[in-house]
Amino acid sequence: MSTTHRRPLRAALTALALVASLGLAACSTGEGVDIEGGGSDGGGGSEGIAVAIGGEPDQLDPHKTTSYFSFQVLENVYDTLVEPDENLEMQPALAESWDLSEDQLTWTFQLRDGVTFHDGAEMTADDVVYSFERIIDDELSTAYRFSSVKKVSAPDPQTVVITVSAPTPNLLSSIGGFKGVAIVEKKNVESGDITTAPVGTGPYELTDFTSGDHIDLEANPDYWGGEPAIPSIRYRFISEGSTAVAALKAGEIAWTDSIPPQQVEALSGDDAVAVDVVPSNDYWYLALNEARKPFDDVRVRQAIAYAIDRDAIAQVTSYGTAEVNQLAIPEDSAWYTSYDTYSLDQQKAEDLLDEAGVSDLSMELMVSSDYPETVDAAQVIADSLSDVGIDLKIRSLDFGTWLDEQNQGNFDMLYMGWLGNIDPDDFYYSQHHTDGSSNAQGYSNSEVDQLLDEGRTETDEDRRQEIYDEAATIIADEASYIYLYNPSVIQAYSPDLSGYTVRSDRAIRWRDASMG
Amino acid sequence: MSSTSGPLTGSTATAVDERSRLQRLARHPVTHFVLVRGVLHTAVVLLGVMVVTFGLILLVPGDPVRIALGTRYSPETYDALRAASGLDRPLAVQLGSYIGHAVTGDLGVSFRSGEPVTALLLQRLPATASLAFAGVVVGLLLAIPAGVYSALREGRVADAVIRVTSQVGVSVPDFWMGILLITLFSSTLGWLPSSGYTPFSEDPAGWLRNLALPAVTVGLVAGSIMTRYVRSAVLEVLGSGWVRTARSKGLPQQQVLRRHVLRNAVVPVVTIVGIQMATLLGGVVVVEVVFAWPGLGRLTYEAVAARDYPVIQGAVLLMGALFLLINLLVDVLYAVVDPRIRQR
Repeated sequence: MSTTHRRPLRAALTALALVASLGLAACSTGEGVDIEGGGSDGGGGSEGIAVAIGGEPDQLDPHKTTSYFSFQVLENVYDTLVEPDENLEMQPALAESWDLSEDQLTWTFQLRDGVTFHDGAEMTADDVVYSFERIIDDELSTAYRFSSVKKVSAPDPQTVVITVSAPTPNLLSSIGGFKGVAIVEKKNVESGDITTAPVGTGPYELTDFTSGDHIDLEANPDYWGGEPAIPSIRYRFISEGSTAVAALKAGEIAWTDSIPPQQVEALSGDDAVAVDVVPSNDYWYLALNEARKPFDDVRVRQAIAYAIDRDAIAQVTSYGTAEVNQLAIPEDSAWYTSYDTYSLDQQKAEDLLDEAGVSDLSMELMVSSDYPETVDAAQVIADSLSDVGIDLKIRSLDFGTWLDEQNQGNFDMLYMGWLGNIDPDDFYYSQHHTDGSSNAQGYSNSEVDQLLDEGRTETDEDRRQEIYDEAATIIADEASYIYLYNPSVIQAYSPDLSGYTVRSDRAIRWRDASMG
Repeated sequence: MSSTSGPLTGSTATAVDERSRLQRLARHPVTHFVLVRGVLHTAVVLLGVMVVTFGLILLVPGDPVRIALGTRYSPETYDALRAASGLDRPLAVQLGSYIGHAVTGDLGVSFRSGEPVTALLLQRLPATASLAFAGVVVGLLLAIPAGVYSALREGRVADAVIRVTSQVGVSVPDFWMGILLITLFSSTLGWLPSSGYTPFSEDPAGWLRNLALPAVTVGLVAGSIMTRYVRSAVLEVLGSGWVRTARSKGLPQQQVLRRHVLRNAVVPVVTIVGIQMATLLGGVVVVEVVFAWPGLGRLTYEAVAARDYPVIQGAVLLMGALFLLINLLVDVLYAVVDPRIRQR
């Protein structure tokens, strides 16, 4: 659930940057709460826990933050109209039910009764309208999710009507896929408190934010889904993985995702700690600039797809914890398309280059020093390509410059990733449609365009799946992107923690968990 | 001039003498001159530091406004932020305005959180000051006995052992030392918390428990460095004529050491303690990251990673200012501990 869909890695940039903090006055109210996790009290009830995340949220306004650290907290403070379950299928949340009109242009949501914000104010349809209009009117970073939305209205306090300009089968994941589209309280926004003391409707209330050190949450007794079992959660910011792991082993914290990938294997053998490694919805890829010769020739692109060693790349970027994938969507997703055309085959790569009449190819790979894994993997890729006679030069740029160069088409091949996508439209449209806003490689195939347009408006789920299977297969066959792997979500926790699930969208939800 | 409290006759100084000596010192025109000159000197250098920190933003690749905005923004938003941050004005005007604001304590607002930079820095100062102070104390507790002993046993086994140990202490990466200490005292023994910070005002005992491991980590390195300085300072004094004279007068070793050697070895040691203190006050990035310590070092590290230029500028400026302040204090301290410096 790394923030945004179509902003490649902006979220991860900040996450990776371990940034955050910056001041946020503390509002200390968390007294009298047992925040020390660890040992069991032997009683029947659950106890408060401390957890460690890898950095500090930059701010806590869910509509404005771009930091994954923020969402690790806000996931539990806010609600969305609908929300993805473990398999990333959309389920009721603040909206109890919804109807879609015959012409597929009007969505009517019935809100849950008696939902209140943490300050006691009632949550009504007006709050939903306010939240969505704020995102749209202020052109916040998630505004693109509402691109087909014409109007959001509240005919009565329990009903929200969204009218769209064209059928939008992915509307639910757009307006509920992650907490960046949460329902916020107008008063909280207008007072400016939302950046440090957000007020939501979620299972936990934020009671303290001490910059540089911790955030405290307390269970919301009035939560519409029932009061959570764990009474309090302290988020600590521990960017050094070794320290977080030591704290976990010492019982100071009950959960962390600040884990050096090279320690995963050792941790898996440790009975005092449970470790989960789950492939995420994020993916990394190579793309060749089809405006430049010889990369306009599909055979050259395929040759590169055959020449690279995906396993070696996954090994060097993540100590093998990433899942190699020749398409974007990971295997446990409902939208997975199985595809394994490419294999490490130097002979085939050389044959394809010969067929294309290309020899002594010298090219550049553009990577970003803000994503060190791209720099590491680039060397592996250069090595593989030299085996088939391609001389690869590595150009490493800071991410800002990298984006400029990408947008101006100043590259031969680039290496980057996309985060937090749920619906297949998010995975393929903007990247591979001729008019796609992120189609920097300049791929164009009318058949793919047609399929992607069809997928946008097709409401029959099975038919949609077929459409995207077909489109994705063509995209990979023609190497618009050369897909590499899905990085894994790695989390370690106390064996006493139960009811907690490691999710492929990286959402950290505490409401169903219990401790001790 | 207070030639009566020179090294050879200093042994007769009493507490009363000492107080009047300080009073005389404060009134003395030369001391006054040293202070005024020091303050002026500091102010000029500080101005230079401001120009350099301002220049930081010009040297880095990429446009700070773009970085602040992220990847999606309209040209209007870009122009608005550029104008709001004053980046559309001529450089000289920007510099003047930056210095003008900085001297009044206004260091701008963070790109990321929108909080005033000054407030951010002040929030982090107590944690950093705790660590710097505790680190220097631990360092001195190690360095003074080890350095003096090493000097007294010069050329013997004990000296060699101390010298090698301090060399190792200087060379060991502090993050590694930190992780070792955490593994031993937190994971294995469970005596101390692995990381985190408790403000002194909330819970003094918790403050100390949290402080122990990072302070030892910092103190081991600082102590190793200082041991070498203490040793050479003491050695130098031991070889001086007045110590030989004192010994030949038949003064007991203890007295020679206390009254003649240590007092005279203090000056170079004060210098290195000052430098250590100033360095540590700037934040110990690696140690703060390892121990999740909410100090200036981590703030700076995070700001660098996020390219949050106003915070980076503010932090660099603060470190520069602290360094200068400590140097000024050291200069004044020299005058207090060594009468000869007052006479210059």
